[in-house]
Amino acid sequence: MAFGWVGKILDVDLTTKEITVRDTMAYASDYLGGRAMASRIAWDEIPTGIGAYDPENRVIVATGPLTGTLAPTSGRTVMASLSPRTYPMPWYTHSTLGGWFGAELKYAGFDAIVLHGRADSPVSLNIRDGTAQLVDAQDIWGLDARKTQLTLKERLGQGTQVLTIGPAGENLVRFATVQHSEENAAGHSGFGAVWGSKNLKAIAVQGTGSVSVADSDALLREVIGAGKFQVAPCVGVLRRSSESKTERRPVCSQACTFDCYINDYGHTKDGRRVPRVCVGGVWSDQGQQMSLTKYSGSGVEVPAGRNFGPQEEAELHQLCNSLGLDLWFRLVMQPWFIRCQQLGIHEIRGHSIEPEDAEGFERFMVQLAHREGLGAIFADDLVRAMDELESELPEELIRLGRELEFDFGFPAHREGRFWDGEPLPFWVISAMMHISTSRDPTIGTHESSLLHADFFLENPELARHQFRRLSEQVWGYPDAFEPTFENKAPVAIWSQNQHMLIDSLPLCDFAFPQLVRPMENRAEWEAAEDISGDIDLGRRLFLAVTGVDMSWDDLTHMAERAFTLERAMLARAGRGRKMEEALTSHFKLPCRADGTFIDEAGFSRLLDEYYSARGWDLEFGWPQAELLISLGLDEVIPEIRECRSRFADEGVGPSESSRLAWPAGC
Amino acid sequence: MVMTGGQRIHVESHLCRDCQACTLACSLYHEGQCNPGLARLAVTKDMAKYEFHILICQHCNSPECLLSCPTDAMTMDGRGVVIIHDEECIQCGACAARCPYDAIFYNVAADRYLKCDLCTGREGGPLCVELCPVGALMLET
Repeated sequence: MAFGWVGKILDVDLTTKEITVRDTMAYASDYLGGRAMASRIAWDEIPTGIGAYDPENRVIVATGPLTGTLAPTSGRTVMASLSPRTYPMPWYTHSTLGGWFGAELKYAGFDAIVLHGRADSPVSLNIRDGTAQLVDAQDIWGLDARKTQLTLKERLGQGTQVLTIGPAGENLVRFATVQHSEENAAGHSGFGAVWGSKNLKAIAVQGTGSVSVADSDALLREVIGAGKFQVAPCVGVLRRSSESKTERRPVCSQACTFDCYINDYGHTKDGRRVPRVCVGGVWSDQGQQMSLTKYSGSGVEVPAGRNFGPQEEAELHQLCNSLGLDLWFRLVMQPWFIRCQQLGIHEIRGHSIEPEDAEGFERFMVQLAHREGLGAIFADDLVRAMDELESELPEELIRLGRELEFDFGFPAHREGRFWDGEPLPFWVISAMMHISTSRDPTIGTHESSLLHADFFLENPELARHQFRRLSEQVWGYPDAFEPTFENKAPVAIWSQNQHMLIDSLPLCDFAFPQLVRPMENRAEWEAAEDISGDIDLGRRLFLAVTGVDMSWDDLTHMAERAFTLERAMLARAGRGRKMEEALTSHFKLPCRADGTFIDEAGFSRLLDEYYSARGWDLEFGWPQAELLISLGLDEVIPEIRECRSRFADEGVGPSESSRLAWPAGC
Repeated sequence: MVMTGGQRIHVESHLCRDCQACTLACSLYHEGQCNPGLARLAVTKDMAKYEFHILICQHCNSPECLLSCPTDAMTMDGRGVVIIHDEECIQCGACAARCPYDAIFYNVAADRYLKCDLCTGREGGPLCVELCPVGALMLET
């Protein structure tokens, strides 16, 4: 009997309607679950060379061994697929969501679902206690995400947990989400559009089963020891006061017992209380946080976003979730449109732009989700709209749009320039993660590195003193967070490995790893000599739940194996050094916090340092045979060799050949 | 008239955030596995209103459940807490039907009725109270 895992993976062929089951434990020892397990399934089963909307693309919905248990923040789910959002071509990536779906899936007897094919008309997948069936969903196709969930709960029972797409996914908007509950979404990777392309409207699940726990006493001991209502993210201590500690904020995931500073409640115009999380939450922050989009440097001007007021923002936020749009579009498109107006441009292709009018912005969101009017131009994302509008708009605007989504089509995020102002060395660590990850790397690494920049912005001297000690403890050298360009690859790689584990167990990256310990208040931080947290907690939770005693070396090895498979899939897609060097243009812009930047030669050295530390070659940045053998991935070697040969033979770098290789419309 | 000892768990449902730590801890403590359906309390959600409701035994002064049980499956312990004895229970459901708080739960898979026992014998008192991060559950004596 396995503890933690429930033992079965559901395979759903949407074309033939055939549903079968496979054994989870075939993956568990080498890939744990969640994102790592998905990487293995994707490598084995997603054919090379297809687009995101090809029926043979897989949608993998995966929980981990901790999902459904009492382990704090473990109620998370991972989704993975080829993404239609990644630019300039589709590649495999992942997205995670909190909520209550993953736990219910396990109570229904399944650790994961693998979907492929394409239904000939809209369907939903209903799962209940070990059984699954595809049912006609034509009557709910067109409903928004909230109404879809309310409808399915009415039909199937209020305890039903639902994943669904809204109109944006149905209309193949490239940043369409898969929504769950009020607020949760697989939001960033455009998987809503992949669902739409498969005619998959929703997955509804009900379960009455259990997740067995190997050592319930140990799990209870760890959970009680972790404390309740501790501040998370740990950096939230900077904003916590004795008054705010008594405030009650919503959770975004089952089993979260933390007091999370990225969550809050809001109210819609009709008085309905709603949760607001992170990007959605900061919209309603009285304009204060919207100023974080403001940037000026090297000819790039990003205006501050416009906040419409608490209730208007709550309305927009709810609408965004209902339509199934990634909340992040607002952070790049609104400032871009405001800059258009500042430059005297008030309409695009005959459509007026109204970024500072709440109702106008609401109309734009609806148009985006339905690919109508102005929305039709931007539904393929801002960066692709720049390609479309290149000959029609001033060069400054085209450049701005491309910089705002410089990260292969993902919105700029914690890169020290446009959104948050991480000083050196945090943006260097961020840059290393940007060059090597399939998607915005920040979402998943908040507590393992990037968020701690806030301590340095608050009190640089104190933070440097504390983090030198911490650096020595964790990485064995003192200058991991010193403001230099050197020796940052170990931090980036450690952070990415933690990210992989967090997405695979799973846990929430706003609470794990506890690099810095939760503290009661700002005064405690200011008085602290040792701020180190309980980094081992995640491993011990895994041990208590599964009974599997893995060392950190074992867990790191597992994380590296899965990350390497993800990298191998980027190689398949043709993404490599040449495309990653192109990110230099963004990091040449001066950092907002301290004015630091990097030139081409310096950025190239960062790539060399990172690739070398990973065991990747310096020409393409792809895994070398020695690394693959050490990770037990010998079977990957021939395909990587073939990729190198293919791209070298074509006489062009990976980026150019790949652009040519991909079919239009994907 | 049967009188209890007066201990009960006071509920403030409006503080609840649906983290389910209470139900998961309850099932883990009593059953060794995580399953809200095996918990001695329940958290339900009304998505239309974004409201949560916690259902848990209020240890009535005159427990209708105990009075309605046709067998000897329910007894009151020294604390005044009504305990279900599975071996005597005939799963008739009379207790659940009479509970004014809908706080006696039937688990289909286990074919058992479950209710709060205030974590009998646990040092530190009821686990749900200890773990609730927002004070939605508080022990009253």
